[in-house]
Amino acid sequence: ASAKSNHCLDAAKACNLNDNCKKLRSSYISICNREISPAERCNRRKCHKALRQFFDRVPGEYTYRMLFCSCRDRACAERRRQTILPSCSYEDKEKPNCLDLRGVCRTDHLCRSRLADFHANCRASYQTLTSCPADNYQACLGSYAGMIGFDMTPNYVDSNPTGIVVSPWCSCRGSGNMEEECEKFLRDFTENPCLRNAIQAFGNGTDVNLSPKSP
Amino acid sequence: RGQRGRNRGCVLTAIHLNVTDLGLGYETKEELIFRYCSGSCDAAETMYDKILKNLSKNRRLVSDKVGQACCRPIAYDDDLSFLDDNLVYHILRKHSAKRCGCI
Repeated sequence: ASAKSNHCLDAAKACNLNDNCKKLRSSYISICNREISPAERCNRRKCHKALRQFFDRVPGEYTYRMLFCSCRDRACAERRRQTILPSCSYEDKEKPNCLDLRGVCRTDHLCRSRLADFHANCRASYQTLTSCPADNYQACLGSYAGMIGFDMTPNYVDSNPTGIVVSPWCSCRGSGNMEEECEKFLRDFTENPCLRNAIQAFGNGTDVNLSPKSP
Repeated sequence: RGQRGRNRGCVLTAIHLNVTDLGLGYETKEELIFRYCSGSCDAAETMYDKILKNLSKNRRLVSDKVGQACCRPIAYDDDLSFLDDNLVYHILRKHSAKRCGCI
């Protein structure tokens, strides 16, 4: 037995030992993993719905632990990346322009409000120690998780264990004269010190003092 | 269901295992709670069981162990999924008992 700890594996184990977490985890995995035909990897709409149910109905102590586990090696980070079954829920044949994707998201009232929550809670602040508004890591992590299962579903872009980069499935290519606005929008995911600190603090267990649980 | 007290021996037991302990050929470090049914089903439950018991008592059957009720799952746990060491997800269905009965 290796002494190497894999927090993402520990999180999966904890989920499977809880009846509710196990049930909803299996539910989204079986739906997101089911191939429709050689041309169609899966039913993305159903997969997104099952993911939303998982994050809505399973307490954060299980879901956040799986999503934001800290890693020292690639195996762990790859497991972390695979949490939402990105080949179905995240990746697509084409990478849309981020502003176009934002436009699609804004036509759905829930996606629109989840994205607004994310911006309100994760927008980098230069007035706080943690770079997060009101030093509230939990609120930022919660609104990040709240976008999973929508058009703006974010994920880890690779299996780099320490240099955490998350992004929705889009790029700023073809932005025309909106290039700057697009980059600014995308950087709220990819180069956001609040989000990065929040994920790292959760993984290291150093977030506990900053976000006292409500009584 | 009015069966309380009978076949009290047939019970559900849970054990905490590694998925690899199941011997199904998966390579993974994930774990599960496995629940199984065990215990005796000596007391007759149905008319069928009663007749069988009477027939064997009166030596009208060739063997007296024929067709006795067994303690078996009457409902299964929810599906279990896990990621294997090669980053492939698997799902186990009807792998663990939820309720037991003499059937």
